[in-house]
Amino acid sequence: MPRTIKVEIKRQSNPDAPVVTEKFEIPYRPNMNITSLLGEIACNPITADGKTTAPIAYDSNCLEEICGSCAMLINGKARMACSALVDKLQAGNPDEPITLAPLSKFPVVRDLSVDRSVLFQNLKAVKAWVPIDGTYDLGAAPRQFPQIQEERYPLSNCISCTICMEVCPQFNDSTNFVGAATIAQVKLFNMDPAGSVLKEERLRALAGDGGVQECGFAQNCVEACPKQLPLTEAISDVTREVIVQQVKDFFTR
Amino acid sequence: MATVAPPVPSATSPQRGVQPLRAGQGNSFLWRKLHSLSGIIPIGAFLVEHIISNFETWNGPLAYAKQVVFLNSLPLVRVLEWAFIFIPLAFHALYGVFIAFRGRSNVNVYPWAGNWMYLSQRVTGLIALAYIVQHVWRQRFSGVMLPEHPGAAFAKVQHELSNPWMLAIYVIAMIATTWHFSYGIWLFAAKWGITPGNRARKRFGYVCAALGIALCLMGLASIYAVVYKYPNAPENVLPETPAALVQPAAATPAASLTRSLTVTPLTTQSQPRSTPQS
Ligand code: HEM
Ligand code: SF4
Ligand code: FES
Repeated sequence: MPRTIKVEIKRQSNPDAPVVTEKFEIPYRPNMNITSLLGEIACNPITADGKTTAPIAYDSNCLEEICGSCAMLINGKARMACSALVDKLQAGNPDEPITLAPLSKFPVVRDLSVDRSVLFQNLKAVKAWVPIDGTYDLGAAPRQFPQIQEERYPLSNCISCTICMEVCPQFNDSTNFVGAATIAQVKLFNMDPAGSVLKEERLRALAGDGGVQECGFAQNCVEACPKQLPLTEAISDVTREVIVQQVKDFFTR
Repeated sequence: MATVAPPVPSATSPQRGVQPLRAGQGNSFLWRKLHSLSGIIPIGAFLVEHIISNFETWNGPLAYAKQVVFLNSLPLVRVLEWAFIFIPLAFHALYGVFIAFRGRSNVNVYPWAGNWMYLSQRVTGLIALAYIVQHVWRQRFSGVMLPEHPGAAFAKVQHELSNPWMLAIYVIAMIATTWHFSYGIWLFAAKWGITPGNRARKRFGYVCAALGIALCLMGLASIYAVVYKYPNAPENVLPETPAALVQPAAATPAASLTRSLTVTPLTTQSQPRSTPQS
């Protein structure tokens, strides 16, 4: 019998539907990733016990770990599906099923697709942009020293995948913590010569409920981030600036 | 930055899941930073003082009694005790329980060092709380009143530790508390932006570990001294402590009040082995 890849997928047909697990067996091909595995199921949506089912809903786009859309729980851990290689996951035990589940801290839309708009709202709340829109030409941007550029570049690699938030013990519906990604973006935009005009507003925003203070420094974010952002360093730096801003505001505002 | 498409807004149902940042709203920043700071000053400072003071047990019951007399001779000592120990400790502990129960530990899924330390900070905090409540009640607010009878301090602790269960509790609590404090200093430095760099954090980790181990060993040595080094310590090594302060009805109150509490007994080394005062 040709080798197959066993997959178990947690499914949910809509946000309020009951959760069910479906099992699949997919003919083995070398060099598959989880997204191609899901594509294979979509071509032939039949479960391991022969029942025809709906193809799995999941998010993906770039297939090269740059769009940030395909985060899910693979064998229980938050990872990007497009860079999770089947051969590596099964190294040693090819008969073990691979389990797939939606991220656990975001509302499920359907199957493996979740609503991660809270990150977008958080980025808006801290004004994670450079304000250059005007009714007239604002002219050339200020020059940026290479030293600044070098410190900013790693932070600009964030792909908004929300893995840092998913793995954080403090990111939950009781703290409503803002999460590492947003804090790192505050550092990125505060260091931009033009973006720094909003620095104080960003720092004040982050002192609100759910802000930097909720970090418990478990450091899971920096371990799990697929783009290796220096998240703990960013949180430490930004928190210091938030504290300084709060003290300044207390005496001068 | 990739953008995440906003969902179709729904007029009826509120947003599910984790809520967005309440930018600039609320006071949790202040409370959380006070919690963080209170762990170092005054509670951490007191813990260091307490372990150093108790290390006097190594030099025997009389040396320990002198230390107790010294501490109780500090100006406004009862005010200091409430303002710099009991109230901040109660705040740190209760707010700490609140923080601990709002976290969702996930070491079972992500068994990484920092994640274990996150859990350990909560577990050691809870152990410390349970221990401190019984410790303060049994050693400070019940039994022989040590502020009035400093000479009875050594024996009081020795009686307590004569129970092997109590001994085990003290050893566990010593390890948990010094662990919590030393990792707490590390956390404080990381969270206040004092050690942002990875290497700085690592280096400071060694410093905190060394401090924690030193404090823990001092504490365990004190326990050893109380239990094994000076067996059968006298009930009170400063028996002339004026009984009148707590027992106004005792005979010759005037005479005992006029006697110096600090000078006379400490210099009479030969006396301590006398019978208990009461
Ligand atoms: C012996 C007394 C104690 C000392 C010296 C102490 C010291 C500290 C220090 C220095 C910190 C680090 C501050 C920071 O997070 O920035 C800390 C954190 C913490 N303490 Fe305590 N503490 C004590 C008792 C307690 C108790 C009784 C609890 C109750 C559960 C507790 C719960 C916590 C928690 C949950 C944190 C972590 C806060 C966070 O990560 O955000 N502590 N403590
Ligand atoms: S910081 Fe890393 S883990 Fe977090 S959203 Fe950005 S890329 Fe993903
Ligand atoms: S599909 Fe774009 S990151 Fe995986």
